[in-house]
Amino acid sequence: MNKRLWRRGLSAFWWLTLFFLYLPLAVVVLFSFNSANSSASLAGFSLRWYQRLLGNEQILSAFANSMVLAVVSSLVALGIGCLIGYGMYRHRHRKLGWLIVLIYLPIVLPDIVFGISEMAFFVQIHEATGWLRPGLGTMIIAHVTFQIPFVALIVYSRFVGLDPTLFEAAKDLYATPFKRVQHFMLPTIKPALISAFFLSFTLSIDDFVISFFTAGPESATLPIYIWGAIKKGVSPEINAIASLMIGAVALAALLSLIFNRRRPA
Amino acid sequence: MQINKTPLVLSLAGLMLAGQVQAQDNKLYLFNWTEYMDPAIIEAFEEQHDVDVVESYFNSNPEMFAKLQAGGTSQYDIIVPSNYYIPRLIETGLVQELDKSKLDNLDNVMEQFVDPSYDPGSRYSAPYQWGVTGVIYNTETFPDAPKSWSLLFDSETNSEYPFGLIGDGQVTVGSACAYLGHGYDCASTDAWREAAQLLLDTKGRETFSGFTNGTPALQQLARGVTHASMSYNGDFLFYKEENPETFSEMAFMIPDEGAEMWIDAMMIPRDAPNPEMAHKFIDFILDAEVGAQLSNYNYYASPNKAARPHLDEVLAKPPVLPSEADLERLQFTPTLKGEQLQVFQQLWSEVKSR
Amino acid sequence: MPRISQHVMRRRAVVAETRHLLFSVGPGVIWIILFLVLPSAYLMGVAFMTNGPYGLPQMPLTLEAFERLAGFGFLGWSPGNIYTLLRSLWQTLLSTTLVVMVAYPIAYYITTCRERWRPIMLLAVVVPSWTNQVIRTFGWMNLLAPGTPLSELAEGLGLIAPNMGLYPSNFAVTLGLVYNFLPFMVLPLYAAFEKLDHAQVEAAQDLYASPLGAFRHAVFPQTLPGLLAGIVLVAIPAFGMYVIPELLGGGKGMMLGNLVATQFSGGSNWPLGAAGAILMLIATFFGLFAMRRIGKRLGGGEEVVI
Repeated sequence: MNKRLWRRGLSAFWWLTLFFLYLPLAVVVLFSFNSANSSASLAGFSLRWYQRLLGNEQILSAFANSMVLAVVSSLVALGIGCLIGYGMYRHRHRKLGWLIVLIYLPIVLPDIVFGISEMAFFVQIHEATGWLRPGLGTMIIAHVTFQIPFVALIVYSRFVGLDPTLFEAAKDLYATPFKRVQHFMLPTIKPALISAFFLSFTLSIDDFVISFFTAGPESATLPIYIWGAIKKGVSPEINAIASLMIGAVALAALLSLIFNRRRPA
Repeated sequence: MQINKTPLVLSLAGLMLAGQVQAQDNKLYLFNWTEYMDPAIIEAFEEQHDVDVVESYFNSNPEMFAKLQAGGTSQYDIIVPSNYYIPRLIETGLVQELDKSKLDNLDNVMEQFVDPSYDPGSRYSAPYQWGVTGVIYNTETFPDAPKSWSLLFDSETNSEYPFGLIGDGQVTVGSACAYLGHGYDCASTDAWREAAQLLLDTKGRETFSGFTNGTPALQQLARGVTHASMSYNGDFLFYKEENPETFSEMAFMIPDEGAEMWIDAMMIPRDAPNPEMAHKFIDFILDAEVGAQLSNYNYYASPNKAARPHLDEVLAKPPVLPSEADLERLQFTPTLKGEQLQVFQQLWSEVKSR
Repeated sequence: MPRISQHVMRRRAVVAETRHLLFSVGPGVIWIILFLVLPSAYLMGVAFMTNGPYGLPQMPLTLEAFERLAGFGFLGWSPGNIYTLLRSLWQTLLSTTLVVMVAYPIAYYITTCRERWRPIMLLAVVVPSWTNQVIRTFGWMNLLAPGTPLSELAEGLGLIAPNMGLYPSNFAVTLGLVYNFLPFMVLPLYAAFEKLDHAQVEAAQDLYASPLGAFRHAVFPQTLPGLLAGIVLVAIPAFGMYVIPELLGGGKGMMLGNLVATQFSGGSNWPLGAAGAILMLIATFFGLFAMRRIGKRLGGGEEVVI
């Protein structure tokens, strides 16, 4: 009796928390269809804010920047992080404490410190040499830096989970290291690579602070654009952009659910 | 002699640099305040000069200054700072001298802006628009609002309704100074101290909503986040035009204790990628008809005397053009430098962080 | 002869291994050193430089920035920065505690549900955090502004002054922090609950009459590693938070992250900002170290990952 009550309470708490988690997002989506120019009262259904979006070149280019940044940085981080992950595994019996510290550094550094030191550093280098002009390039560099550790750790833990004798077998089977990589390594760590890519991608899309401080005038991403729009006063257009992003995330969540379902854990 | 040579060398170096970069792309990077440019003007300029104008925006002078310091000097062709930031930009070498031989329309500038105190001889800047920072309040909430800063600073005049102050420290402190009777352009440490104390007390009031920049403050007023706030006369009219219903119960007021009059001017950053086009742009804005079009769009007074016949009627009366009596009470924000600036910044950060 | 060749071979093997290590780990290490360690070191250096007339760092080296950070300036000592630091600590402590209080039952509840539902439930908790934090915070701005139902309710209950909204305020900042970081606590706690030894819990239930006692002696110690990992994941980013106080605090709820950021954008005192960043780093590493120690002492041991 008492136990059932306890469970009921827990269940109620669960639904309440979900409500708390989704309420702000739901409100954004709701008001994106509001026909009135207000975020306090609903007037009627309309798609005018979405129509305005399509004509807004800045938003479209911000969207393109977000995508380029996320894809390119994730790919670069995948390459570099994958190598580290493998190296950490192969040499796990050595004393690599310094390496672990180095790799955890981007994770534990507060992102405001991260972003600002990158900005200050890039500015000085740019002043001195003309390289590293703030823009998409510097943003990609910064994003790769915080993505590397996550890729490395995912790939590393995939290797650790493998049977060590597999490596011996692969050595016997394939003559050259190149073939070994092609026919053994890559296929075995493919799931890890995929999830590492998605994690990097999500991290990049989610980041605001580091992008904000390393961006140039032409490389505003969607979050930077939205930030500027909020700062200059809220326009209902923001609801529409934000809703599109929420929609994209919901889609990604659905896909990952289906993907996970198909593949037995 | 030495001093006279430096700008020459600088502009020569600028020209050389210009020649290098210009061939690479035909773009003009404009770094401007938000909602401060008629898109039609940009289109006309793009068509006339076959150039692609890339606009980025800032919300306050400090923000713009920080961007330039952080490597922005090579990223923008035109910036539009306010008067009291102009000396700072010149002294830190963040901007380059204008080549007046390329600015045929310079004669259109009104006499009082030809040799301004912030940039003697207008060597670095060409005026863009001018306006006033006053108080905007809800007339339903405050039917008999006094023509005074007390609407913001006195807890008895406004005890119940949320209000905001402007995020730019010098303007807010100046306004507090004016309320205290030290004048808007106060620059002594003692006056500042007193003003900072007033601001701290004000911040402590339950109804204080926060520091906002001028343009967003209007959005907050519209949404009822605040009922009185500091903002600019032109932006107010701009929003009122766009959204007459919401803003019909709002009024713009210039407090009798004095307030800020500002001028925004166009300047070219030191390492601007395309200074040639930047000069063409400045000249384009200084054109009589374009200047009028800009003011008609922005609802700000024009510093362009040739534009006068083309201006809309609304621009010739308050709040765009304040009454004679009000005009006399307006002052520029003082230019600070060296230790004075540091003292000020310390006081201001104290106000913000406590 | 054979001994020598064996020796040579072993040496060759070592050289090959080392080369292998260099080629695999090298690029990443160089990247991190070049784009993280060097920039941070540069920032540390800036903290010891003089503040130029317009905020950029200059020679000579000095400790002025730290004096300013401690509140000493042209006008004598003033407590503004100390307030900011205390406010950051308090907000971090408060929001982390609240997050723990919400995440504990949630994580537990998920583990008691049917296995096929668990991934979906976890996903449901995590998905909101995939949207950008600027958007999430913007959502709360919509919800807490004056005139919205929530604000009216709070006004009706006499929690806030009339006509004021729930935002901007320190309360809004706390709420934003809790909202933002809840998933980061649920995940590690869930992992810990999943490994829970139920036999031990049942034994404890028999031993201690009250559920609280059972919780304290059987459940809590077992979930501790997850809890500590969660605290690290929540408290560090919360302490350095920039976006939420900036948008929801309205200039009243300034935290250390904002203090640092303003010095580089508008406040214009790079050395002071850099000194603030150092303070933040020290606090962060101290926190990490303390967590590790607590984890080890309480028997979490190796499982405390970070």
